[in-house]
Amino acid sequence: MEKTRREFLKTTGLGISLIATSRLWSNNLFAALTLEKGNNMNEEYFGFTKEDLKKLLAFGLSKGADLSELYFEHTIANSVTMSEDIIKSSSQDIALGVGTRVIHGNQTGYAFTNELTFESIKNAMLTAASIAKSKPKIIKANLEQLTTKSKIYDLSTPFAHANLQDKIELIKTAYNTALKYDSRIQKVSVSLLDNLQQITIANSDGLIISDTRPQMRIGISVTAEDKGKRGTSFASEGGRFGMDFKNAKTPQQVAETAASEALILLEAENPPTGEQIVVLSKDQSGVMIHEAVGHPLEADANWKKQSIMWDKMNQMVSKPFVTIYDDATIPYYRGSLAIDDEGTITENVLLIENGKLVGFMNDRLSAKIMNTKPNGHGRRESYKHIPIPRMNNTILAQGEHDPEEIIKSVKKGFYAVSYQGGQVSNTGKFTFSCNLGYLIEDGKLTKPLKNATLIGTNVQILNEISMIGNDIGFFLGTCGKEGQSVPVTCGTPTLKIDKMTVGGAI
Amino acid sequence: MKNNQLIDLSENLIKFAKSKGAHEVQISINTNNDFEVQIMNQEIEKLNQSNPTELNLKIIIDKKVATASSSDMQQNTLENLIINTIERAKLSSQDDFAGLPEKEEITFNTEQLEIFDPKILKIKPEEKIQFAKKIEKIGLDNPKIKVSTGSYYATSHGQNYLINSNGFQGFYEYTVCYAGGGFQSGEDDNLVEDYWSESHVKLSEMKSPEYIANKAIERVLRMIGAKKVKSQVVPVVFDPLMSASLLGFLVQCITGSSIYMKRSFLVDKLNTKIASEIVNIIDNPLLPAKIGSRPFDAEGVASKKINIIENGILKNYLLDTYSARKLKMKSTGHASGPGNLYLQQGHATPEEIISSVKNGLYLTKTIGQGTMPTTGDISKGAYGIWIENGKLTYPVAEITFSGNLADMLNNITMIGNDLEFRSSINAPTIQIDNISISGT
Repeated sequence: MEKTRREFLKTTGLGISLIATSRLWSNNLFAALTLEKGNNMNEEYFGFTKEDLKKLLAFGLSKGADLSELYFEHTIANSVTMSEDIIKSSSQDIALGVGTRVIHGNQTGYAFTNELTFESIKNAMLTAASIAKSKPKIIKANLEQLTTKSKIYDLSTPFAHANLQDKIELIKTAYNTALKYDSRIQKVSVSLLDNLQQITIANSDGLIISDTRPQMRIGISVTAEDKGKRGTSFASEGGRFGMDFKNAKTPQQVAETAASEALILLEAENPPTGEQIVVLSKDQSGVMIHEAVGHPLEADANWKKQSIMWDKMNQMVSKPFVTIYDDATIPYYRGSLAIDDEGTITENVLLIENGKLVGFMNDRLSAKIMNTKPNGHGRRESYKHIPIPRMNNTILAQGEHDPEEIIKSVKKGFYAVSYQGGQVSNTGKFTFSCNLGYLIEDGKLTKPLKNATLIGTNVQILNEISMIGNDIGFFLGTCGKEGQSVPVTCGTPTLKIDKMTVGGAI
Repeated sequence: MKNNQLIDLSENLIKFAKSKGAHEVQISINTNNDFEVQIMNQEIEKLNQSNPTELNLKIIIDKKVATASSSDMQQNTLENLIINTIERAKLSSQDDFAGLPEKEEITFNTEQLEIFDPKILKIKPEEKIQFAKKIEKIGLDNPKIKVSTGSYYATSHGQNYLINSNGFQGFYEYTVCYAGGGFQSGEDDNLVEDYWSESHVKLSEMKSPEYIANKAIERVLRMIGAKKVKSQVVPVVFDPLMSASLLGFLVQCITGSSIYMKRSFLVDKLNTKIASEIVNIIDNPLLPAKIGSRPFDAEGVASKKINIIENGILKNYLLDTYSARKLKMKSTGHASGPGNLYLQQGHATPEEIISSVKNGLYLTKTIGQGTMPTTGDISKGAYGIWIENGKLTYPVAEITFSGNLADMLNNITMIGNDLEFRSSINAPTIQIDNISISGT
C-alpha cells in the first residue's frame, strides 16, 4: 500500500517536469494516469486500495451518519498570457487533496486534507463525522467500480500535455490577428488557460467511480483607441477538447470577433432607457436564461423555499412555446460532465416543458430532501468544497422564427449582442450587463449602443417572451455561487422580449 | 507545518532553484486553519473544518518569468515543479521590467499591527454554532420574516511566509472571525431579501448576534412592497456599503496594470483634479487591527500609508513592482491590492445628507457587473428607498443607476461622518448629484 501510494505521487511529480519538455513522455504519463479509469488492474485509487477506502468510509459512519464520501482530486492547471507583444508569463498550479463529507439528515459535515496519508484522511473523516451523534452504522455495500460515458471529453490531444511552445504559437497567432485587424487597435492581451482534472469518488452506499476531465479556454481582450475615445471588448472560446479544437471557433476567429467589437464600441452611444422591446441575439444571451431561469431552478433554493419557483412544480410558469433544459452530456462543451462531483451519471434534465415547470436540478442531498432522484447536478469547485446543485449547459430550445423576421417585427427597441455577465437574487430579480448592443429602428439595426443594463424579474420575463428564433448560440461562463466557481455554458436562440427595462445614462 | 519547518522548506527550495539555474526566486507559503458553520432553520446545514497549505513560486531567468503553485507539499513534487517552472520561464519573453523588488528593510514591527488575536483560536466550535443559531433565531422569531437564507459563523487563522533570493524574509500570522445572516420577506412572488455580515481580526470587535440579526431584519423589512420609479436624473445618496462598492470600481481604474494597459479612464491623470475637492482617499495598510492590515505585500514590499486622492487631485496609482517599473515610478506596496483603503469622512450625519435631497434615491444595494474601467462607464441594477422632501419614503427595486465615474467623482457634494472599517475598501455615506435612474 505504502509503495503504490508513492508511485502515484511520483508519476504526478514526473508528469510536471515533462509537460513542457516532451510530448512523447507526456503521452506515457497520460497512459499512466488514465489507468485509473476503466481498466484499473490493481484497483488502486490515489494510492489506496478498496479496503483502505472502506475503512476510511466506515470512520465517517462511526457516529451514525447516513452517508460518508471521499472525493480525491488531482488537477494540473496551466496558463500562459501574452500582452504588449511579449509572452509575459506562464503558470502551473497543482491541486492535490481529498475532501471527506458526512451527511446526517439534512446536515453536512466536511473536512479536507492535502496530505494523502491514511492517518490524515481518517482525521478529516472523523472531523466531518462529528455533526452526527448517534450509534455507528455500517457500510451498505461493497465498492463496485463504475465506468463513465466516454464521449463527453476529447482526451486525444489534451492541452495539459501539449508542448508549451505549441501553445505559445497558438497564442501568438491570435494576438497578431487582433493587433493587425485595424490600425486603431492599441492593446491586445491573450490568455490560454487549461486544466486536466482527475477525480475518484467513493461513498458508503457502495459507489466508486473515477473521471478524467480536460478543459481549455482562450480569452482575447482588445482595446481600440481613436480621437480620444477608447473601447475594450473580450471574446473567448473553450471547452472540454484538446489542441485540435474539434468544431470550436479557431483562435483567429475569436481574435477577429474581439477586435471588430472593440472598433464598433468606439462609435457606440448610451442606449435609450426605460421599458422597451428587447431582442436578445443568440450569441451570448444565454446568460439571461442562466440568471433568470437557471438559478431559481436549482433544487437547494427550492427546498429552502428561497426561490419563487419552490411551489410551482407542474404549473405553467411561461408561454407554452418555451422549453428549457440543462444538458450536461453535450460532447466537448465547457459545462459538460460524464459524472457530477458526487459520482452521479449526468443526463439531459428537462426543466420547463412547453411552459410548464417539470424539473429542478439537484444533488444527492436535495434529491433526498425533496423525495426524488439525483439528476447529476451536484458540483463542487474542488476537493475543498461541499457539492451543491449547479448548472452545466442550460438551454432554451429553438423556436420557429427566422432571426431576421424577429428584428423586422420591431419598430423601436434594443438589440443586445455581448455581455460582461449577469447576476440574480433568490427573489428572482436579475440584471445583465450589456457591453455592446444596437438600436432597432423600423425593423433594422442602426446605431451601436454601449453601457446598458437589462433588468427584470424571472417569472415576468418568461411571460414576456413573444418570439423564439430557429438559431442558437452559447455563452461560455464561469458561474459563482456560495463562493464556488464552476465552468458552465448557456444557450439561447434569438429572443424577442415584449417589455423589459433597459438602464443606461440619460 | 510548523514555522521552522516552513522556513527550512522554503530556504531549501530557493537553494534548489538557484542550483538548477534560476536567477531570481520568490516563494510564499500560506497555511490556514479554517472553521465555518452554516445554520439553516436552526439546524447545522454545513460544517467545514480544514487546514489547507499552499506554496506559490515565482522564477525569473534572464528577465523571463514563470510562476507556479501547489497544494501537494511533498519535496519530490515541489522539486519537479521548480524544474518545470525553470523550463517554462526560458520560454517566456525577455521583459526588462520583470524582476524581484529591490531589497528593502522592513522596519515595522508586525506585532503593532495587532492582526493576530489568540482569543479567536480559543472559541469552542459549540460557541460558534450557538452564535450563528442565535442570529437566525432572532430573524425567524420576527413575524414579518418569511424565510431564512441562512446564518453563519467562521474563523480563520492564517500564517503567511514569504522569502526571496534577494534576501527578503517575512512572516506574519493573522486571525479573522466572520458572522452574518440573511432573510426574506414580502408577499406572494414579490419577495425581498437582504443580509448583514461582520468580519473582524479581533474577537472583542465582533458585534453581537442581536446586532447582526437586527441589522439584517431592518434591511429586509424596509424593502417590502418595493416598486419601480420612472426614468429620471436625480441626486443619489449612497449608503456606506454602496460608497465602498463605488470605490471598488475606482480601485480597478487606478491599479497599475489598468494604467499601463491603457484600460482606465485615469491614464495620464496623475496630479490632476479628478474629483470634487472635498474628496480625500487614503490607503493605510498599517492601521492596527483592521481587516486589510499587513506588514508587506505579496512581493515583500513594505506597506506604507499613501494618499490616493488629495482634495480632489489624483496623487497615486496602486502599483506593484512590475507596473511601477513600467510607469517609471516606485511600487506603492500593492501587489496584493488595497490594504485599508478609505474615503475620509466629512462632518454631515447620514440624516443631514438625506434631508438635503428634495427628490432622489437612497441607494442600498446593487446587482450585476456593469463597470468598464476603460471608459469609467457604470450601469447596475439598483435597490433603495426613494427620498422626497428630505424624507425616506417608499422602497424601490428593478431600476438601474448609470453614469460615468469621472463625472460621479466630480459630483460628490456631501460626505458623511459615518466611516467604519468593514473590509479592505471603506467609505461613509455620500451624495452624488446628476445620476441617471432608469425604470418605467
